[in-house]
Amino acid sequence: MNALATGAADAIQIRNLVKRFGAFTAVKDVDISVPPGAFLVLVGPSGCGKSTLLRMLAGLESPSEGEIAFVGQTVSSGAGGVIADAGRRNAGLVFQSYALWPHMTVAGNIAWPLKVARWPREKRERRVREVLALLGIDALAERYPAEISGGQQQRVAIARTIAPEPSILLFDEPLSNLDAKLRIEMRSELMRIHRATGATSVYVTHDQVEAMTMATHVAVLNNGRVEQFGKPIDLLRNPQTTFVATFLGTPPANLLPVRREGDALLFNDLALAPAALAGGRAEVQLLYRAEDVGVGVVAGMPSLTARFAEAAPIAGRTMVTAMIGELRITGMADGYFTATPGEPIPLSFIRTPDAVFAATGERIHQ
Amino acid sequence: MTSTSLSVPSGRRLLRSGFLLPALLIAIVAVLVVAPLLRILLSTLTPEGLEAWQAVLASRLSANLWWRPLLNTMILGFCVAGGCLLMGGFLAWLVVLTDVPGRRFLALMATLPYMIPSFAAALAWGTLFRNSRLGGSAGFFETNGLAIPDWLAWGLIPTAIVLIAHYYSLAYTIIAAALSSVGADLVEAGQMAGARRPRIFFGIILPVVTPALVAAASLTFAGAVSNFAAPALLGLPVRMQTLSTRLFGMIETGQNERGFVIALLLIAVSALFLFLSDRIVSGRKAFITVTGKGGRTKRFPLGGWRWPLFALAVLIGFATTVLPVLVLAASSLAPQSGALFSNWTLHFWIGEGGGQMAQGQAGIFRNPVLLDALWTTIRLGLVVAFTTMLLGLALAYTIVQRRGSLIATVLSQLAFLPLLIPSIAFAAAYIALYGAPIGPLPSLYGTFALLVIAASAHNLPFAVQSGRSVLGQISADIEESARLTGASLVRRLFAIIFPLAIRGLFAGAILVFVKMVRDLSLVVLLFTATSPVLSMVAYRYAAEGFMQFANAITLVILVVCLAASFLAHGLQNRVQKWKET
Repeated sequence: MNALATGAADAIQIRNLVKRFGAFTAVKDVDISVPPGAFLVLVGPSGCGKSTLLRMLAGLESPSEGEIAFVGQTVSSGAGGVIADAGRRNAGLVFQSYALWPHMTVAGNIAWPLKVARWPREKRERRVREVLALLGIDALAERYPAEISGGQQQRVAIARTIAPEPSILLFDEPLSNLDAKLRIEMRSELMRIHRATGATSVYVTHDQVEAMTMATHVAVLNNGRVEQFGKPIDLLRNPQTTFVATFLGTPPANLLPVRREGDALLFNDLALAPAALAGGRAEVQLLYRAEDVGVGVVAGMPSLTARFAEAAPIAGRTMVTAMIGELRITGMADGYFTATPGEPIPLSFIRTPDAVFAATGERIHQ
Repeated sequence: MTSTSLSVPSGRRLLRSGFLLPALLIAIVAVLVVAPLLRILLSTLTPEGLEAWQAVLASRLSANLWWRPLLNTMILGFCVAGGCLLMGGFLAWLVVLTDVPGRRFLALMATLPYMIPSFAAALAWGTLFRNSRLGGSAGFFETNGLAIPDWLAWGLIPTAIVLIAHYYSLAYTIIAAALSSVGADLVEAGQMAGARRPRIFFGIILPVVTPALVAAASLTFAGAVSNFAAPALLGLPVRMQTLSTRLFGMIETGQNERGFVIALLLIAVSALFLFLSDRIVSGRKAFITVTGKGGRTKRFPLGGWRWPLFALAVLIGFATTVLPVLVLAASSLAPQSGALFSNWTLHFWIGEGGGQMAQGQAGIFRNPVLLDALWTTIRLGLVVAFTTMLLGLALAYTIVQRRGSLIATVLSQLAFLPLLIPSIAFAAAYIALYGAPIGPLPSLYGTFALLVIAASAHNLPFAVQSGRSVLGQISADIEESARLTGASLVRRLFAIIFPLAIRGLFAGAILVFVKMVRDLSLVVLLFTATSPVLSMVAYRYAAEGFMQFANAITLVILVVCLAASFLAHGLQNRVQKWKET
């Protein structure tokens, strides 16, 4: 399920990659390939191994097992360690901390990698001007990193990384240090740069919105393992595990544990769906998206009473969260809706469940 | 990028840089630190050595050789630690936590005494307080009709005062750094909770800086215990012995084994106290901020006490920095050491020999030994500053890179070992090891090389610490982002790491330079006529009663130290111009 389109021409091919730190396994048997020009987003909660995976791609860590190939050339492997050094794999990395060299000006920061790569002076200067213009930071060329704002530092870091025209761009949570508004701006900016350079990009984030908006390919990581790999829309529509189902999507989807009784699946004592969905199991989990849960009683649909928790208006509707015991349920109300916390409100399940999962988390296909 | 460059294996380079450097460093540290210690221990296990153990610890001589010096040493250590905590703590509190006027000025004053050699204060004390009990010319006070009792002229009390005047600035530095890490937030949170000022001080500030207080106490204690100059100049004339003067006396008179035994005992005493203090604070390291970067600090208003306390602080600073220097300067110009301010002459500086004055000795700038010593001292300072910082950077790099590995642990433990060893005992260990030829190698005793080796080893803990703090300022990301461009290790070193580290390295190197130039206790045993250093020449003059010469040379040392500090200060602001704004 992990490989989309494998072939010799894959820009990045990761095969059975494992990384252990002592007894701890940070990355477990990862198998991913993406074609040239792809924008691969590695998304997952903190500590899921996504940054380790990126550092192995950059050549800063060596894998314990498996291998990484760029355009058909093996650059790292468990047997050979880091075969092509970090500097010799035609990849650029944008650090979360930006890692600008504080003793060089903005222009100096961008020019230095080109000097190392022995670009002739004239070509170098032209390229520096070019990327400065591309990122819209021409005016800052002679400033030192300490003299510019966080968002500007971010642009310099990106400019420095794309200046040598690497065929692979790596991003380590590049937007996490920016404020919310700037983050959205830089997101579109990064996508524009991705299109302009045509480089294959790998982007690490814990923000599923970034994953869904930017990626051509998404790998959801959890506990060092790839939970699911594919196009963002496929992951959203067809989650293969409960982790993917609840991690992706805004507002978050609901997962209700139900048990089979007779020909119905019961949540507490409410019959939600026909027992056939359970595929012969006694206990399963049903996935309801927020838009499948309405606030108020709808005739003919199963409904229950929950305690109101909070409401947030979104695009003319209201996202309502309510508690049933310890379980949070998110539904949508039309127009603006509000209530006192703790107040009982009726919720209705206005559609059939979007997916059914076993109690252990994997998808049950109908 | 071509395919060939992709497939070039880098395994061999990994092997070279990965194992050669740590192996080399372990070898260097072993030769510098472990070998001398083992050697000195082994020399006391020979038949002569065992006899020496018995003589020192269990014989009719042991009261004189061990118990009385130990008692004196302990008294000195505790007095100095206590005095330094009081004075350093008071000044640190005043400068960091109150609205006292002229805070920057007071802070500068409080750090200066450490730049002045401890024998400068001892010599100045002698010039003022010396009495006629031992013959020779009396000091300033007695000459002017003020009788000075013996206890104020010689022995424990003046030694303790002089050492406190020297070491309190060390205590100040440590405590001030800790106090400035007590952020205003902490204090304001206490105020919000309704606590009054004493409650905040005892409930919040004091607990936070307790580890720093313990550290300051133990370091000043260790400093006092291992100091040689002050007890030698103020105690030896009345036969007050400390362990370090005893050790010196033994080696000086050729009783090497007894000297080695005392050296080992001195190491044990010093190490025991540092170890104990480390145990006391070990659980609390989590909230020490050594760098002293605490953002905003809360300053308490002193009200009517502002100016009186300011005056007291200025008085302390004046008495410990300006006054000794003035006394030394006046004394080096006065023909009669009692009459400091009359008949001034430049004889002791540039006078020709053969006359009536100073038993026909020429002034110091006409003395070829002095010029030689000046050159040797500066050369020693420069070379040791260079070797120390280089070694420290290499060690710190290896320790940080291999954090958690056995190599890193072994290296950092070994590199910090000299901290436990008083420098005079360290010098004794070097005599034990290098005093005789080793195989084909000639004896290093009395050579410049031995001074350099011993001094580098002695400065290792400081070097590693400053190396680590320098590297700590360079985040891993910055180095890795340079690696990603394909720059080689050498290139990264020169284009990225070095420019970022230069300021810290420079500051560390200057401190090492100053420490070397003003050091007496390490060189006093390793010195010979062929490798004279200024501090040793001054000590010799003082021991022979030529106080004006000794004072003049001490002034030269002071000038060199201060010039180095100011030079460093000036240069530092130039080398990293991106930090100006």
